[in-house]
Amino acid sequence: MNAFWDTLKVVAQIALRNLFASRIKTFIVGGIITFGAWIIVVGTSLLDSVDQSMSRSITGSIAGDIQVYSAESKETLDVFGGFGPSGNDIAPLADFAQVRRTLSTVPNVAAVVPMGIDTATVTAGNSVDQVLARLREAASNIQNGDKSAATAADYTSQKDHVRQIVRVLHGDFENIKKVRTDASDVAEDLAFVQKANSEEFWRDFDRDPYANLEFLENRIASLASDADMLFLRYIGTDPGEFRRTFDRMTIVEGQPIPEGKRGFLFSKYVYEEQVKLRTARTLDKVKVRRDDRKEKIADEPELQRMIKENANNGQEILLQLDGNKTSVFRSKLGTFLHSQTTDVGQLLTQFLSMNDDNFDERYQFYYKELAPSLQLYKVRVGDTLTIKAYTRSGYVQSANLHVFGIFAFKGLEKSPQAGAMNMMDLVSFRELYGYLTADREKEIRDLRAKSGAKEIARENADAQLFGSASKDDSTATDTPSPSNIPSLTEELSQIAGSRQRSQEKDAPYDPGQLEQGVVLNAAVFLKDAHKVGTTITAIESAAGRDKIPLKALSWQNAVGITGQFTVLMRAVLYTAVIIIFLVALIIINNALVMATLERVREFGTLRAIGAQRRFIWSMLVLESIVTGILFGALGILLGSLFVSWLGQRGIPAWNDIVTFFFSGPRLYPALASKNLVLALVIVIVVSVVSSTYPAWLAMRVSPRQAMQSEE
Amino acid sequence: MAIIVSIRNATKDYRLGKVLVPALRGVSLEVNSGEFLSIAGPSGSGKTTLLNLIGCVDTPTSGTVEVAGRNTAELGERALTRLRLYTIGFIFQSFNLVGVLDVFRNVELPLLLQRTLSSKERAERVHSLLDRVGLKEYSDHRPSELSGGQRQRVAIARALVTRPQLVLADEPTANLDSVTGQNILDLMRELNHADGTTFIFSTHDARVMSYANAVIRLADGKLSDTSDGGRATDAEVAELGHVSAGASQP
Repeated sequence: MNAFWDTLKVVAQIALRNLFASRIKTFIVGGIITFGAWIIVVGTSLLDSVDQSMSRSITGSIAGDIQVYSAESKETLDVFGGFGPSGNDIAPLADFAQVRRTLSTVPNVAAVVPMGIDTATVTAGNSVDQVLARLREAASNIQNGDKSAATAADYTSQKDHVRQIVRVLHGDFENIKKVRTDASDVAEDLAFVQKANSEEFWRDFDRDPYANLEFLENRIASLASDADMLFLRYIGTDPGEFRRTFDRMTIVEGQPIPEGKRGFLFSKYVYEEQVKLRTARTLDKVKVRRDDRKEKIADEPELQRMIKENANNGQEILLQLDGNKTSVFRSKLGTFLHSQTTDVGQLLTQFLSMNDDNFDERYQFYYKELAPSLQLYKVRVGDTLTIKAYTRSGYVQSANLHVFGIFAFKGLEKSPQAGAMNMMDLVSFRELYGYLTADREKEIRDLRAKSGAKEIARENADAQLFGSASKDDSTATDTPSPSNIPSLTEELSQIAGSRQRSQEKDAPYDPGQLEQGVVLNAAVFLKDAHKVGTTITAIESAAGRDKIPLKALSWQNAVGITGQFTVLMRAVLYTAVIIIFLVALIIINNALVMATLERVREFGTLRAIGAQRRFIWSMLVLESIVTGILFGALGILLGSLFVSWLGQRGIPAWNDIVTFFFSGPRLYPALASKNLVLALVIVIVVSVVSSTYPAWLAMRVSPRQAMQSEE
Repeated sequence: MAIIVSIRNATKDYRLGKVLVPALRGVSLEVNSGEFLSIAGPSGSGKTTLLNLIGCVDTPTSGTVEVAGRNTAELGERALTRLRLYTIGFIFQSFNLVGVLDVFRNVELPLLLQRTLSSKERAERVHSLLDRVGLKEYSDHRPSELSGGQRQRVAIARALVTRPQLVLADEPTANLDSVTGQNILDLMRELNHADGTTFIFSTHDARVMSYANAVIRLADGKLSDTSDGGRATDAEVAELGHVSAGASQP
């Protein structure tokens, strides 16, 4: 045995010495192996870190360890709803209490949070309505005999504000007329706007302010409201339980939805992206790219486009300016820009046309001088939001919800997927979702009977509602346009809901209501998060036992393509590693074959003096393994150093998607010993495989070749 | 006296492309243990082929070669290798040392292949041999740091380290100047005398032949037609004062 080790020692010695003897071979082979080992260590460490941080922030923000939903759903649950606006088609689970009972029989389940995810449009803070309300108030003050100068000034200022809005609207309509060949469908609206924009209208306004206000409210306000439509995705849940269970959730502004209250929380991302004034938002984005990424407006077409668009967005500011503010803005902007122009619109356009030289100064001016006079966000914490959603049965349901605050998921602040999710209480969610409780169904049935409304099947709705004329229009018959149905049924449901909605804004509900009722899905937290697979099986068998159609998904599968990201990246990395090592295999093989040919005499001599073939073979393979271990270790060391360096410094996320995968602005990768071992094993396997053929060649060298001299 | 090598009517053909080249055309020879035998002949006469057959690195096309009582034609590759390892020492024209190993390791190598001695025993054996070939001081030198003569001494030490019955040397002095070559031959003969190890060496140099106590001549793959079955004339070996017996007729 000792002799064996001594032999091994000499062979290792020959191997080591040969490394130095044939430097070029060593350099090529060693370089490749070092690089390969480096790639494996760095690549797997990065992926593991992304995997871990992603799993932490996704499980800790929305998904939980496992998601359950109805097995009768037409699609697979995707809590991020993919990247489209429509969300996915999930069948409801009628009674959450029962779901919780079943889940709690599974030993590894630690917590269950009820959920529903849906989308709705929201008409947020219609500025025209607000301005007209103030004008009406001022007008009525004057009618009621208030003769103070302040009231008169307020009245004039509000009138100017409305005129400003009308002027902006008029400009919009002029544009529509210009770009559309057939503007007949807007002709009536245009006539109204032209009237409201005429000198006579305002000259005679004071003669009958109420009649004129009515004209503005009925004909003009509706035209100006489109700009303030928000499209929101929200999660309905038990707000208290959600906040206790999901550790990534933080309140950024305001307060959480109090227990037992209806309410709404904006996601910080949506609040910034959609609710903030567009000009301000664009300036923020340009600033970030200039400051953090050192981009120049002059060099980046994208930034130029943003600035150009922004210059045309000045009207959203104009809409907010009453008479007083208009003159303030005129003088501030005039002084700042050294301009004699009196048209505030032109001044704003000029101001917003920024370049690299004046951007920082103007950005400061915007926030310091202009912003305080503006409503920077269309909805503010404390406002009431009217949310309109299409229910499952096609009619529109709406709810007025108090905005309690703004929240974010730690680490996912910049993620468009997680950031798209706003939050409301589950009770309001169920109403908007349109799931009819037994009581509600009865109430509607009674109302129907009373009003004489007939049940109309969707398929026949057009024909039944609009007569046979629609037969000519073949497209309309298959798919009834949703806008037709709601017009009738909405009223119906509004009658049904009116009593409740008039008080629902602050009406508390019994916490028990959260438990008993419909949910779409639920997040399940586990005591041992490593046992996802077995727990899914346990949950589904418990559901089968209790006869609930329940399907369970690991969080990776419940977040759609997002959860598969690391799997995909891993596949890419391993493919790359395999290609690198295949190439390495070929190059190393060639280098070793060359080296073997140079050493024919040496092998012949060894064979002549009594070395068996397998000795020669083992010697070459061992040489290769020694090379592999030495340079593999070097690559692993370099890779480890690099990962540690990255771990201290952090890798900055270069865009929002990457921020999501990094679960924060920076990724701090960590080394895992299993990756180092993996790298070493791969390197050794490659060394053995690549040296097999050259070793076989060497093994076949005849001892006679030691005798042949100097040929 | 024991016969260490016995060759009967051995032929060896090599194929060069489509042509069959006869390298040996029927050689019969017996070598006694303890001989200091020279195989002489011009290049291409079949010296190396004969040495290959004796050295068990090749087997005859026909006829038999027996080395240390074993018929090489009946032995497989591994058995031939073992026979070489335990019975034969090799000295090459170009020394053939392992360049990356020092002198000590080069000499130790056959012992490592044998795996029978402990490292201490090996060290003693190697050092005493290095002492005998006059390279005591050079045990940690690399071959590249040695002169040609010194390298061939290392090779001699390597050939003898396993205490073989037979040492084969293929033109051991061809790459050396004449003085150095003489020294090497002196050393070889000295070792032959002292230990009784059989030496067979090939050469085409008459002066080298003169060191042998027996010379066989090869020409065109045959032993020269002499009375003594290819052995050198008495006159040629007279000065050695000794003629070994045992050569046999084909």
